[in-house]
Amino acid sequence: MISLKDVTKEYRLGKSVINALRGIDLEINEGEFISLCGPSGSGKSTLLNLIGCLDFPTSGKIMVMDKDVSELSDAVLSRLRNNTIGFIFQMFNLIPVLTAYENTEYPLLILGMNRKERQARVSRMLDEVGLSKFIKHKPDELSGGQRQRVAIARALVTNPKIVLADEPTANLDSQTGIEILELMKMMNEEHKTTFIFSTHDQKVVRYAKKVYNITDGRINS
Amino acid sequence: MKTILLSLRNIFRNKRRTAITFMAIISGMTGIIVFGGFVKFTYQGLRESTIRTQLGHVQIYKKGYSEKGVANPNKYLINNPEAVEKALSVIPDIKMVSSRLTFSGLISTGEKTLTCKGIGIAVEKEGEMSDFETIVEGGQLEPDMPDGGVVGIELMKALGAKVGDYLTILTTTTEGAINALDFKVVGVAQTGSQDYDSVFVKLPIKLVQRVLDTDSAEKIIVLLNDTDNIGRVSLVLEDIIKKNGFNLEYKLWSDLAIFYNKVVQLYNGIFGVIKIIIGVIVLFSIANTMNMSVFERVREIGTLRAIGTTRAGIMRLFISEGILVGIIGGLFGIAAGILIAYIINLSGGIYIPPPPNMNKGYIALILIVPEVILYAFVSTVIVSALSSIYPAYKASKLKVVEALGHV
Repeated sequence: MISLKDVTKEYRLGKSVINALRGIDLEINEGEFISLCGPSGSGKSTLLNLIGCLDFPTSGKIMVMDKDVSELSDAVLSRLRNNTIGFIFQMFNLIPVLTAYENTEYPLLILGMNRKERQARVSRMLDEVGLSKFIKHKPDELSGGQRQRVAIARALVTNPKIVLADEPTANLDSQTGIEILELMKMMNEEHKTTFIFSTHDQKVVRYAKKVYNITDGRINS
Repeated sequence: MKTILLSLRNIFRNKRRTAITFMAIISGMTGIIVFGGFVKFTYQGLRESTIRTQLGHVQIYKKGYSEKGVANPNKYLINNPEAVEKALSVIPDIKMVSSRLTFSGLISTGEKTLTCKGIGIAVEKEGEMSDFETIVEGGQLEPDMPDGGVVGIELMKALGAKVGDYLTILTTTTEGAINALDFKVVGVAQTGSQDYDSVFVKLPIKLVQRVLDTDSAEKIIVLLNDTDNIGRVSLVLEDIIKKNGFNLEYKLWSDLAIFYNKVVQLYNGIFGVIKIIIGVIVLFSIANTMNMSVFERVREIGTLRAIGTTRAGIMRLFISEGILVGIIGGLFGIAAGILIAYIINLSGGIYIPPPPNMNKGYIALILIVPEVILYAFVSTVIVSALSSIYPAYKASKLKVVEALGHV
C-alpha cells in the first residue's frame, strides 16, 4: 500500500544543510495501526508529510497505492490526498468560518459528491465521533477534544485508505488524548483504515499495533 | 458552491477590515454615480438650451449654403420658405418649423452707433425658443408688435438706450443697396453668452425681409418634440426633400453645436480621469485587503491544500472573494450613490458659477443615470476581480508543508 525506498530529505537553512531523513525504507500494509515514535526534530513529521504527498523527497522513491508520487502532477496529488489520504493535525487545522458539519463536509464537496450522499455520510461520521449535537458549532465554540473529533470525522469522511495523524494528542489533556486514541483505534478496526500517527509520548505509543522509532532521521526498529 | 460558501464566510470574518474595504468601494461608486449624474444633467441642460435658444434640432438651407453661404449668404437664400414649411408640417415628431433671416449692420440711437447682428424670426412660432432667453427688462416680442425688437443686454448698455426707445438699423439689401429701418425696443434679453448679448437684435422676420428687400429666408429651423427622435425625423426629412424636389440641404444640431461638443469633450476627459483615480484607489484597497487575508490564512491554505484543494481551487477561492467583495460593495455603492443624489436634489441642487464667456450660472441637479450606475457596478466588480488575482496567485503557490507549518 505504501512503500518507501531509501528516502532522504534535506532542508537548507541558510548555508547549512539539515538531513531530516536519511535513507528510510518502509512498507506499510492495509489496516495497520502504526506509531512513529521519536523526540522532537527526529523526522516524524517530515516522514508523514512525504507519505501524505504534501512534500517531495530529496532522493529515494515513495509509492502510495502503487503510484510513484514523484511522477504525479499537482492536480493528481491533490485528488490523491482528497480521496485516499486523510489528515489529522496537532493543531486540529479546522476552517474557522465553517461549522463542524461544514468542516466535515468540505472534502466531499471537493470530491464532487451529491448532496444527499454527502448529508448521509457527514451525519453518520459526526455521529460516530460523538458530535451529532454539535454540528452547527464553529471550531471556536468547541473544546480541544471536540475539535480533534471533528478533524477525525473530516479525515475519515471520504473513506480514505490511509489516515495520517501528526501528534494528534499533543494539544489535548491526557484523558481527552486517550479518548481520541480510542476513537482512532475503533475507526481503524471498523473501517479497516490504515492509521499512521506520530508521537513522542510513550503513553500514546502503547495504543499502536506497530511502532517505528525514529532518531536523527533514521528508523531504528 | 463550496467556493462561494467559503468566500462569503471569509469576507465577513474580519468585519472591520471588510467595512473599510466596502467604504472605499462605496465612496468610489458614489463619486462616479453623483459626478456622472451631474455631467449628464449638464449635457442635457446645455444640449436643450443650445437647441431651443439658437440652433433648433435641424437647420435647413439652400444647397451649397454650408460650404459657401457664409461668405455670400444672399446668394444662398431659400426662395419659397412657406412651401418648405408646409411640406415639413406633416411630420408628427416636429413641434415647430420656422424661417429665419439674419443680417449684419449698424445700430444707432442717433447719438451712438455700434455694430449688431440681427435675426428675424417668425414671432408667432418661436415663442418656445424665446423661453430660454431671460427678459431682464420690458417683455418678449409678441405677434402684434410688427415694428418691435428685443436687444441683448450688453448691446443695450453700450448704446445707453432704454425700453420704449426707437433705434435705427442700417444694413444692405440682398442686392447691395443701403437701407435702414426703425424699431421700438420692447425688451432687453440675456442669453447666457456675453458675446452674443453684446451684438444681438431680435426682430420680426417680416421687418427684416422688408429691410433686406426679399421674401426669402436664410434658414428654416425645425424643433422636435423630443431630441431623441432626431434620427427618425432626419430620415423622413431626407425623403420629403427628395420627393418635393427641393434644392435644399440640412444639418443636425450636433453638427452645429460647437460649444456643446467642446463641453462634452472636456467633461468626458475630466470624468475619465476621475474614474481612473477612483479605480486605482479601489484596486489598491481591495488588493491590500486580499493580501492581508492571504497572509493571515497561510495555515488554512495549507489545510485546504492537504485535504485535496488544487492550486486552481485556491486561486478560485480568493478571486471569488474579491468578486464577492466587489458585488456586495457595489450594491451598497449603488444604494449610497442614489441616496446622495436624492439628498443633493432635495436640498435644491448645486449652484454652478457662470462658465467663461457666460454671464449666468445655473443650478445643477444630479440625474440618476442607469448606464452610469451599470458602468460603476461592472467596473467595480472587474477591478475587484483584478485586484485579487495577484494575492490569489501568491496563495496558490504556497508550498503545502510550509503553509501548514506557518505560525
